[in-house]
Amino acid sequence: MAEVLDINSLSKRYAAIQAVNQLSVKVEQGSIYGLLGPNGSGKTTTLGMVLDVIKTTAGTYSWFGQPSSRETKRRVGALLETPNFYPYLTAQKNLEVIADIKGADKANVNRVLQLVGLESRKSSSFKGFSLGMKQRLALAATLLNDPEVLVLDEPTNGLDPEGIAEVRELILRIASEGKTIILASHLLDEVEKVCTHVAVLQRGQLKAEGPVGAILSAKDQILISAPNLPIVTEVLQRLPFIEAFKPEKDTVVLTLKDGYSSTDVNKAMFEAGIVLSQLVVRRKSLEAQFLEIIKSQS
Amino acid sequence: MNLLRIEFRKILPYKTVWVILAIYVVLMVLVLNASSGITINGRQLGADAFQLPGVWQRLSFLASFFNLLLGILIIVLVSDEYSFRTLRQQVIDGLSRVEIVLAKFYVILAVAAFSTIFLLLLGLYFSLLYSTDHSVDAFFSQIDHLSYYFVQAVAYMALAMLFAFLIKKSGLAIIAFIAYAKIVEPLVHLRIPDTVDKYMPMKALGSLTPMPGQDLIDQFTTPTEQLTPPWAAVAGLFYIGLFLFLSYSLLKVRDL
Repeated sequence: MAEVLDINSLSKRYAAIQAVNQLSVKVEQGSIYGLLGPNGSGKTTTLGMVLDVIKTTAGTYSWFGQPSSRETKRRVGALLETPNFYPYLTAQKNLEVIADIKGADKANVNRVLQLVGLESRKSSSFKGFSLGMKQRLALAATLLNDPEVLVLDEPTNGLDPEGIAEVRELILRIASEGKTIILASHLLDEVEKVCTHVAVLQRGQLKAEGPVGAILSAKDQILISAPNLPIVTEVLQRLPFIEAFKPEKDTVVLTLKDGYSSTDVNKAMFEAGIVLSQLVVRRKSLEAQFLEIIKSQS
Repeated sequence: MNLLRIEFRKILPYKTVWVILAIYVVLMVLVLNASSGITINGRQLGADAFQLPGVWQRLSFLASFFNLLLGILIIVLVSDEYSFRTLRQQVIDGLSRVEIVLAKFYVILAVAAFSTIFLLLLGLYFSLLYSTDHSVDAFFSQIDHLSYYFVQAVAYMALAMLFAFLIKKSGLAIIAFIAYAKIVEPLVHLRIPDTVDKYMPMKALGSLTPMPGQDLIDQFTTPTEQLTPPWAAVAGLFYIGLFLFLSYSLLKVRDL
């Protein structure tokens, strides 16, 4: 598959802060690529650099195998941070300005307004819009010249649940047309629901990268306790299907390799002559996994 | 010209622009009207002030004081692009940094053309009203003062644009622009000899619209050395180029 965006050891340093550190990722055509990380992890800085508005300190990037230019920019629709429009202009006039800059057909203005459900408000000025409407207008602007790639920075930020659902549905609909989407978000749940690939960032460093299923697969945790814990841990060490375990105060927390379940644990313990006093299956939250990813490699 | 069309799309519906231009027009008319009404030694000043062909020099000298207002207009337009973050969005959407500066330069040319044409109309109106000599030669023999005024207005606004790109915030940029034009550079003039300071931007630009009757004053005081309007125009064009280049350099080296 062709690469849409290739980021090669990109770095950005502000006076005292290393905002992005030696970041390398490749975004393939047709994927929905999530940049996931807490606030201040360098997501927006990274997007700012590849969108040519923030200077790189070191490293390179290329769009469609070429350096950034007017031509590559026309193939990308991007929204960075807050929606940026002239407050005194109407929705339609704002989009006409952008259509002129992108060299897009004027007829598209109405089409994209319809797509994001703002057609009835096209003659209202931007400053009177609610945050949700502003966000949708920004989405409309990115779609103006029917780009191959969409770059969205926190597209659901500040929206109510209904707005979030609408925007996500819109993103999936756009992706189903074969477009590539690069999405920065601090919401795990959003990345898990929408994205096919994910890169996890923390303090400007890449912590994990790959298909969402591999990085954020929610493996269950099992909690067991027994009267004599040291023997339990001894047995656990011998069992082939235990991926990891960690003794806590009165319990042991463990995760299993694929294809095994809590029944196997119970059976193995019983065979070893241990009667468990407690066996609990706990679905690991995405948040817990996320923290784990961030901790494991720092 | 596509750039100018984009700029007009943004500017024409913007009330602030019209308010500033209206203030400019009203102030000019008020000042002209007031000066024509003054009576000195039983003679109406208007009759003297609007005599052809000297009216063009007097008008452009008068208009040079209002260049600050045009500069403020440009500062507002450029700093808005920062506060709305539309500058950033437009680079993302495909404009180059050269085009960003050029687009604003076209606006500057358009505003300067507007004020020059406005001066032309004012001059025609008042001279038809007051001037005794209405020959074609009288109308056009000194009309080149308007073209010097045009260069001056463009250069003033280019400097204002540079301050706006440098400072990004309209209030601070306006203060810095006025402080430089009216206080800082004039103070520097006091310190250095005329042979040098006549090339400095504010003084060179000022020489584009020399004060009417300056030669008369020079007979009584030590004349201050200044460039003739044609040479001042060369300096003006140089400064316009310099301000544009510096604006572009700022965009090039800084994050947007």
